[in-house]
Amino acid sequence: LPICPSGSVNCQVSLGELFDRAVKLSHYIHFLSSEMFNEFDERYAQGRGFITKAVNGCHTASLTTPEDKEQAQQIHHEDLLNLVLGVLRSWNDPLLHLVTEVQRIKEAPNTILWKAAEIEEQNKRLLEGMEKIVGRVQPGDTGNEVYSRWSGLPSLQLADEDSRLFAFYNLLHCLRRDSHKIDNYLKLLKCRLIHDSNC
Amino acid sequence: QSAPGKPEIMRCRSPEKETFTCWWKPGSDGGLPTNYTLNYYKEGEELINECPDYKTAGPNSCYFNKKHTSLWTIYNITVKATNRMGSSISDPHYVDVTYIVQPDPPMNVIPAVGIQDGKPYLLVKWSPPPLADVRSGWLTLIYELRLKTEGEEWETFLVGQQTQYKIFSLNPGNKYIVQIHCKPDHHGAWSEWSQEKYIQLPSDFRMKDL
Repeated sequence: LPICPSGSVNCQVSLGELFDRAVKLSHYIHFLSSEMFNEFDERYAQGRGFITKAVNGCHTASLTTPEDKEQAQQIHHEDLLNLVLGVLRSWNDPLLHLVTEVQRIKEAPNTILWKAAEIEEQNKRLLEGMEKIVGRVQPGDTGNEVYSRWSGLPSLQLADEDSRLFAFYNLLHCLRRDSHKIDNYLKLLKCRLIHDSNC
Repeated sequence: QSAPGKPEIMRCRSPEKETFTCWWKPGSDGGLPTNYTLNYYKEGEELINECPDYKTAGPNSCYFNKKHTSLWTIYNITVKATNRMGSSISDPHYVDVTYIVQPDPPMNVIPAVGIQDGKPYLLVKWSPPPLADVRSGWLTLIYELRLKTEGEEWETFLVGQQTQYKIFSLNPGNKYIVQIHCKPDHHGAWSEWSQEKYIQLPSDFRMKDL
């Protein structure tokens, strides 16, 4: 559903409607990310002990995000909005490459391929929506384009299968984690800004 | 007399995505007084910490309050059993609090009878579990409702995020049992079912009955 149907004049979607759409998208993206991770874990990671190695962090670790309710409630909503933007931007590049590289995995099921493409598409839409929201909440503030660079492409192309599969595992693990953070923060922001913290 | 057997971390649970508790099962104590220590470290940290609170959640448990609970972070947890003859360490247990949330059951379940277009329906209302902060949006819960008459099979309805639900096509004169349970919208486990609530539908429905 386009934000403003064609032909409409001075159509101004409410901030509440923008948040509703953003939360629907973030919920959907996390659902897909979680399913993709679980599917990959079941098919390629069983018995390889990847979780013990996955603790070396994600490429977005440099973005200091709230890790508990108190931190999330104390942070100013503009800072939290910009953090969400930063995490979303940080996933543009890896998602683009994931769609290509997943196709090279041995017997990669279509369901994983489809999800990777769908997430990449929806992530872009959510980023657009968030830029509209930030533009509405902080008019005129171009904001500093904070994001975290990803340098993981070579590891997705390693010759050694175990190392390459671990690189995919870690990327999908991080995608599941970050998409859950974004979904959680947006639900919090929506309650705070639209429902006066009384959802 | 011998060194203690290997303890096993059985389960970790968070009731509201703000604190969590882990429980372990002791191994054999080797016939000697045995002491248990829970140690953990968090992803990206070298520091090994000891359990902050062995008491609050009862024997063989460790309670992590808000100050010691972080989401989106993997905890590597082990339990060590020690007696005079030696010690034994459990296998590591990896926990991300995001995935171990099991709320308490919903509260204040109130079934009531209504009429719409001359047809009787059951309207059930409830409240989220008190510990769960759904108001601020920190935790989003979804609900399921189940319904039956005495001796029959349960019929379950996936309700979604709302805290009330209307059920039509019921049999006047029947006595129904209603229960609700909840879970976080993405990850975690269903709560226990709420207390059973009973409601008797009048057998002969007219507006004046309400």
